[in-house]
Amino acid sequence: MLFSTAVFYVFAAILVFAALCVITVRNPVHAALWLVLSFFTAAAIWLLLGAEFLAITLVLVYVGAVMVLFLFVIMMLDVNFEDLRRDFRSYLPVGAAVGLLVLLEMVLVIVAGTAGAGSAGSLPAGSNTQALGRLLYVDYVYPFELAAVLLLVAIVAAIALTYRRRRGAKVQDPGAQVKVRREDRVRLLEMPAEKRDG
Amino acid sequence: MLENYFPVLMFIAVGLAVGGSLLAVGRLVAPHRPDPRKNSPYECGFEAFEDARMKFDVRYYLVAILFILFDLEIAFLFPWAVVLPDIGFFGYAAMMIFLAILVVGFVYEWKKGALEWE
Repeated sequence: MLFSTAVFYVFAAILVFAALCVITVRNPVHAALWLVLSFFTAAAIWLLLGAEFLAITLVLVYVGAVMVLFLFVIMMLDVNFEDLRRDFRSYLPVGAAVGLLVLLEMVLVIVAGTAGAGSAGSLPAGSNTQALGRLLYVDYVYPFELAAVLLLVAIVAAIALTYRRRRGAKVQDPGAQVKVRREDRVRLLEMPAEKRDG
Repeated sequence: MLENYFPVLMFIAVGLAVGGSLLAVGRLVAPHRPDPRKNSPYECGFEAFEDARMKFDVRYYLVAILFILFDLEIAFLFPWAVVLPDIGFFGYAAMMIFLAILVVGFVYEWKKGALEWE
């Protein structure tokens, strides 16, 4: 128990440090990489809590896919970072308000959690993944199907927003190439041999 | 349960130690004499034309977002596969409906040509 507590503190320290770096480094690509580290350490902390499936999913989906998307977006936007930094202080009121609100909510959660109102209770027997599966596909089947609809909407929306057919692109159609027959390419002409005059 | 993850922790520790020590040894032992010429961007002998930052084609983004969506679909399959004997036909049917809804999206993107790179 003592060892896992020590591991928790190591990961928690890394997480706080990485999260601080996300908001303080100047280069947004570096900020995204620090965010990868914070996701990874958060996954390790979830693993210490016994939430195996969520931890692995966090690494697979967020570190593996979502952060790649973040980096794409950062590189695609082509923003001038000097311009962004110029009016940095004008964002201060909004940022401070949002930060205070988040702080207030977290304090409320922690106070309520220690009072016993919102505690998670004891872990069910068996693995965490099994407990999740038994709940998700039986008790929460309607939200589960709604998740499928949400994913479908996301697919259609992504295609509608970003899909552009390129004009005048020269492409090969492998199907047509395979289906081509000799008659399409070579034409044999019947020509009688000509007699030489005289 | 956590004992099973101890090898993973050891892997992380050993990986960090090996990677960090190699970098540190390189830093300490290798000669380090920077000058403005060496530090300037190099582009085949002439002055650099433009910034290293350039816009990505938006099509990379489309491929990435489609990948994420089907990645999430796979994430839903894992706990389902673990508890399939417990949840019986009801859970099986629930997943089949889930997959059928997503197959609609898959057929849409295939027919639309979003998977073609041109």
